[in-house]
Amino acid sequence: MKFLPSQDASFSTSVRNHLKEIQKTTEGNTTIVEGKYVESPHSGKVVFKPNDEKVCPLCALNLNLKHTDVLVLSQFVRPNGQLLPRRITGLCCVQQTKLTKLVTMSKKAGLMPNLAPANSHKDPAKRRGSKKLHRFFDEATIRDTTLRNVARYREIRYTK
Amino acid sequence: MSSARRVQQWVTFGRMWYLFDAKWQNPFDASTKIVKVLSGSHKPIYHNDIDCGDHVVVINSAQIALPGDEWERRVFYHHTGYAQGASWTLAHQVHEKDKTMVFRRAIYHALDTSLLRHARMCRLHIYPDEEVPEEILRNVSAQLRQMRAVPKRLDHYTEDEVKNFPKLFEWPKDYVLET
Repeated sequence: MKFLPSQDASFSTSVRNHLKEIQKTTEGNTTIVEGKYVESPHSGKVVFKPNDEKVCPLCALNLNLKHTDVLVLSQFVRPNGQLLPRRITGLCCVQQTKLTKLVTMSKKAGLMPNLAPANSHKDPAKRRGSKKLHRFFDEATIRDTTLRNVARYREIRYTK
Repeated sequence: MSSARRVQQWVTFGRMWYLFDAKWQNPFDASTKIVKVLSGSHKPIYHNDIDCGDHVVVINSAQIALPGDEWERRVFYHHTGYAQGASWTLAHQVHEKDKTMVFRRAIYHALDTSLLRHARMCRLHIYPDEEVPEEILRNVSAQLRQMRAVPKRLDHYTEDEVKNFPKLFEWPKDYVLET
């Protein structure tokens, strides 16, 4: 039996992007709060292939991160300064604790002032007392327990 | 003497003026390098008696960096000479009063304890920012390399640089993005 689709049905072969963003617009007296579907800001730039995304990113890349590598560390931090949970980022607990310490160091050094709560100054020079002075940290003081997990991870293929 | 010999004489025995940018540098680490230049140990003609040290002009001493919580732990001792005259001042308190003092004391205590120490300290010129008197800047002809890389703040990167940097994970399905 031939099954013909109706003329109103629309088919889409591309993957529907399910990422949502809550957008607030004010027009005069009315404020419209809308949940809109948006393109993922990470699409096309993720280092791993989609079927390999179940692996801990930091273990696989073996980056030897410093607290000054702000472009990498800021990916795991929310705009208000909180760290993202492991179920979102896919990090293993060993890397998550290491990242927590690195982000703490980076924030104390004043290198991520824009990732802070809304009521913050967002300027390290406005901190009180000795906190406004420049600081740096030694990453060797973080206990490295990643060696025992290396054997557990399979070979990772990169997109390029 | 011939002109080549005259050039060699000037280059060997001339007193050099070096510049050092102390922005985001640890003064106690930098002192190992600066002390070598002040005492003249970096020269093949070095001898303690001939006073062959060079000048070092330090700028941005107000922007030095100390590791961890050292601003709250490092103390500077001073005694007035009178009874009950001992005082221990924390590094951040000293820095608030005089932006050049932490750097000056770091170099003083790193220098050899000899009668030449004060002469060598006189050849060290420290300025809290980039404003240096013209008669001193005129002499400067070389620069000492910084020991620590100056870190870049996240808000000093352009929006495009942050956006196009490779990402380490993809957001899960149905995630609500924060702005």
